[in-house]
Amino acid sequence: MADPIHQFQIVKVVDLPDVTLPLVGMVDLAITNSHIAMTIAFAAVVLFLTLVTSNAQVVPGRLQTIGEGLFGLIDNLTDSIIGHDGRKYFPYVFTVFVMILAMNLLGMALTFTATSQLAITATFAVVTFGLVLVIGFAKNGLGFFKLFWPTGAPLVMRPVVGLIEFFSFMLRPVTLALRLFGNMLGGHVALKVFAGFVVTLGAMAAGGGFGLLGIPGAALSMTMVVGLTALEFLVAFLQAFVFAVLTCIYLNDVVNLDHAH
Amino acid sequence: MATPEGHGADTAHTATTEAEHGSGGLPQFQFQHWGGQIAWLLILFVILYVLIARVFTPRMRAVIDQRASTISGALETARQVQAEAADQARAAAAEVAEARAQSQRVAAEARAKAAAESAERAAVEEAKVSEQVAQAETRIAAMRDAAMSNVGAIAGETAAAIVEKLTGKAASAADIKAALVARGGAA
Amino acid sequence: MEVEAAKAIGAGLATLGMIGAGIGVGTIFGQFLAGALRNPSAAASQIGNLFVGAALAEALGILAFVLGVLIYFG
Repeated sequence: MADPIHQFQIVKVVDLPDVTLPLVGMVDLAITNSHIAMTIAFAAVVLFLTLVTSNAQVVPGRLQTIGEGLFGLIDNLTDSIIGHDGRKYFPYVFTVFVMILAMNLLGMALTFTATSQLAITATFAVVTFGLVLVIGFAKNGLGFFKLFWPTGAPLVMRPVVGLIEFFSFMLRPVTLALRLFGNMLGGHVALKVFAGFVVTLGAMAAGGGFGLLGIPGAALSMTMVVGLTALEFLVAFLQAFVFAVLTCIYLNDVVNLDHAH
Repeated sequence: MATPEGHGADTAHTATTEAEHGSGGLPQFQFQHWGGQIAWLLILFVILYVLIARVFTPRMRAVIDQRASTISGALETARQVQAEAADQARAAAAEVAEARAQSQRVAAEARAKAAAESAERAAVEEAKVSEQVAQAETRIAAMRDAAMSNVGAIAGETAAAIVEKLTGKAASAADIKAALVARGGAA
Repeated sequence: MEVEAAKAIGAGLATLGMIGAGIGVGTIFGQFLAGALRNPSAAASQIGNLFVGAALAEALGILAFVLGVLIYFG
């Protein structure tokens, strides 16, 4: 347990036989702790939204206020960033937001954080990126490539700047996936490391003698754990929010391609 | 996505145990677990997307729109009530002003009537008084005339007596009368 | 064991990249605070931009961190 990386280990809870799919190849169907964490997050989101919306009142109760706060947050985001077309893309952004938020927050309560798995964050990032590409080509056709043609730059510089734009565009899914992954990984590793200090230094102090010097260290580590936990809750919300904001910005790039460039 | 050799229950199990013993690399990069996770995440994601797009968002929008309409309706009602109240206040102010004007008119009338009455009464009184004054004056004049005539007689008698005392003979009545007339004229 | 040592050194060097992220995030919040103190009424509307900027700056540091972790554990 002292290994701070151990918490990310995927463990098979129920082993199921593999299946071979065309194109994809063999898929391991085993139900792992990652599946369980995802399912709990999904169930929590559905339950929450059902509770919020099933008995919705004009004068909201506590739960409904929270739900409508989240709803309004993303609604404002899509409206202000994407514009009048924002409502069409709201469900996608909201789904991404609540799912990441639920996984992040459940990671603070459970032993396993789904969003600290690169597979999960990469899926979110690739789906978002794919959606941006699909919408971009569907709305603009080949005019989509105007995105990389900076009309503001001098003509000589345009190919160079365009190339840079293209690379930064292609790096978007990578940064999108790595940001969420790295934040959750780093936060949980740091938490585990400091929590490990508490145990190690406490054990040292239990040995008596010089080991008693470990007590202030353990206390300090404990304070750090408390502070980091609070910070992690902030990060959990913030990363979900940032993911939603960046999704909106990327969608806006292709939805309003003609107006912006 | 997943490396082909990582599949299968037994190989995955060995990978798990190997990772549990540390230094087996980051668990996130054990690609044999990727396929199942991604597939499951996509399934959940699509279900949640459909639920949110078809059920939750319309419900939420309905509530928010309903609230907006309720608020705007309440505002409208409040505005209406306020306008009504303003109208009523204006009407009340007009009524008050009218009442005040009427009361002022009544008061002025009453004042005028009272003034007229008192003037009339004063005139009557004055007439009575002046009549009395006139009577008194005539009476006084009569008395004075009487007194004055008496004064003439007395003066004559006195003059006759003085003349008689001074001269020793009685003056004639005609002389005295002439002298009196020449002196005072008021016989 | 030399490979292990080299890995540790490499990971440590790679995570130095987080210095830049620290500077960047500090600059963003510091500038925001300076601006917010000058014009507090406009501050609330810029909170979203603030966190997006901070997240973007932090992402690069996270990249360095992930690289370090990859070097050490990979």
